[in-house]
Amino acid sequence: MNDKAAENKISAWKTAGWWVGLVRRNRTLLIFILFMAVLPLWAERLSKPLDIPILLTMRLVGVFAIAAVGLNLLTGYAGQVSLGQGAFFGIGAYTSALLTVKAGFPVWLGILAAIVVAGLFGLLVAPVLRLKGHYLAMATLGLGIIVFVFMREMTWLTGGNDGVRNIPSLALPGIGIGEMKEYMRAEFYFIWTIAIIVLALCANLVRSRIGRALQALHQSEVAAEAMGVNVAGQKIRVFVLSAALGGLAGGIYAHLQGYIDPNMFFITLSISLVTMVVIGGMESIWGAVAGAAVITFLPKFVEAIPKWVGDAPKWLERYSNYEGIIFGLILILTMVFMPAGITRGLSDMMRYRRSPFVNPFRKKVVE
Amino acid sequence: MEAPRSANGNGNGTLLAASGLTKTFGGLAAVKDVSFKLNGGTIKAIIGPNGAGKTTLYDLLTSIYLPDEGSVLFQGREIIGLPTHEITALGIARTFQTIRLFTRMTVMENVTIGLHHRTKAGMIKSSLRFPSACREESWMGEEALRLLDIVGLEMQAESLAGSLPFGQQRLLELARALATQPRVMLLDEPASGLNAYETRELGEIIYRVRDMGVTVILVEHDMGLVMRISDEVLVLDYGEIIAEGTPAEVRVDPKVIEAYLGSELD
Repeated sequence: MNDKAAENKISAWKTAGWWVGLVRRNRTLLIFILFMAVLPLWAERLSKPLDIPILLTMRLVGVFAIAAVGLNLLTGYAGQVSLGQGAFFGIGAYTSALLTVKAGFPVWLGILAAIVVAGLFGLLVAPVLRLKGHYLAMATLGLGIIVFVFMREMTWLTGGNDGVRNIPSLALPGIGIGEMKEYMRAEFYFIWTIAIIVLALCANLVRSRIGRALQALHQSEVAAEAMGVNVAGQKIRVFVLSAALGGLAGGIYAHLQGYIDPNMFFITLSISLVTMVVIGGMESIWGAVAGAAVITFLPKFVEAIPKWVGDAPKWLERYSNYEGIIFGLILILTMVFMPAGITRGLSDMMRYRRSPFVNPFRKKVVE
Repeated sequence: MEAPRSANGNGNGTLLAASGLTKTFGGLAAVKDVSFKLNGGTIKAIIGPNGAGKTTLYDLLTSIYLPDEGSVLFQGREIIGLPTHEITALGIARTFQTIRLFTRMTVMENVTIGLHHRTKAGMIKSSLRFPSACREESWMGEEALRLLDIVGLEMQAESLAGSLPFGQQRLLELARALATQPRVMLLDEPASGLNAYETRELGEIIYRVRDMGVTVILVEHDMGLVMRISDEVLVLDYGEIIAEGTPAEVRVDPKVIEAYLGSELD
């Protein structure tokens, strides 16, 4: 009995044949790929009646999911709170935009450069990782503001508040100009191919010795260091990785929008990326996707409500920003009922058959 | 994934030699001019009243603090100034007085953190699941279970570390430290909070660790355990060594009796 239990645990750690192991390990991933592959089929039909541009928004979800999964490695797994992910996103966007517009680089090279430049900038500012907790959050927030000011004031390079215009769109083979619907679909598949590769690699990473080391240093830096983990080195590496993923997302974003200006990459972007991580679920790769989807779709959804139910009553219209109120309320309720994020919240509900309406303010007996 | 260090590798010579270690915190000397030698294959206890500088001494040996003065030679190599994780990789592991497990990870994952420096796969190899990375992962799983078996926790391998009862958490810390393949193991009050039965078990486990070729330093208040299992005892008081010798010698040392002011040493 004793030996058998141990035996089972060992075999769980081993991969039972390459393909079997691959499928078994990545069940969620495979289901997700299937879901994404057929999404355009129904999304295009559903967009009209719902008045939500589903496919259009899904492209942005893919971009933000890449940036958020990078941030989740840093903040969720390694516990280093960063309010500066938007800065790396912006650096990536500007790198690729300027290289393609001003230097005539092809788009793919611009995006590669965005990854490298954002990663190098991450390496340059990595010394802020000596700070901990709130201090690190403050320092990265300052970093975001500094980068924003540079984008706005280095007019000769960035065009200042006017931004960069006429950024070439993602040059996807076989798609002519004017075929808007096909082009949108191609962009969707392109972005999500990249996003899924990134997600799969990150999912592998967090289940490896590196991922465990990150979680360990999150929970006790002293113990992790005393157990032989190079804490400072691991932090720098994950910070650079997170910055590079932010740069990748930003690079794609620039070509998606065709136009960028500094205000897109103000600290509000960093904050919404952090919100994606927290709402989706810390220490969860899929949480980044769920968070990105919720945060990107919610405003569209709230905007669409008046179109379904008719215009808001007069008294409500005076609060011209009532969409914001609904948005905020949904976020608050999510955090109250699913403090560990959507992915963890839902999976716990299914696993423990827990009602979603358990009083969250009830005193917990044991944490 | 290197070959296990040989159990006889330690020999009986001096494994670790500290000389003139001094550390002051704001004018108060926590450790003052402490020198001692540690012979391979033995169990050495460090005792002393609360605040005598025992844990500070550990923190100096593992480079969590830098000493104001003094040196520590480990296998003939100066280790003062090296980062903590390198000292661990050289072969000095420790446990903590206040348990510092990774509470939200499983028991097995906790042990694999100790195996971290014995494996190599970096970010790229891990995220692409290179065959070498997969081999390391399965090796880590087997090795972790083997180590958990030594402390008798293999049945709890999949539980969360934070959910273990207190005594088992101490044992898990020990298994995790063992995973770093140490030559010297620094145990910081491993028996505090354990009942008499668990303490006796712990004594057996410490013997088992020594028989694996690991030299043990033990900071402990449980005099019964100290006197029973240690080969040598070193007594600290106010950061200074006041006595050193076999348990029998230390027990009758007048300075020691004075330091403990009548608390019984049996």
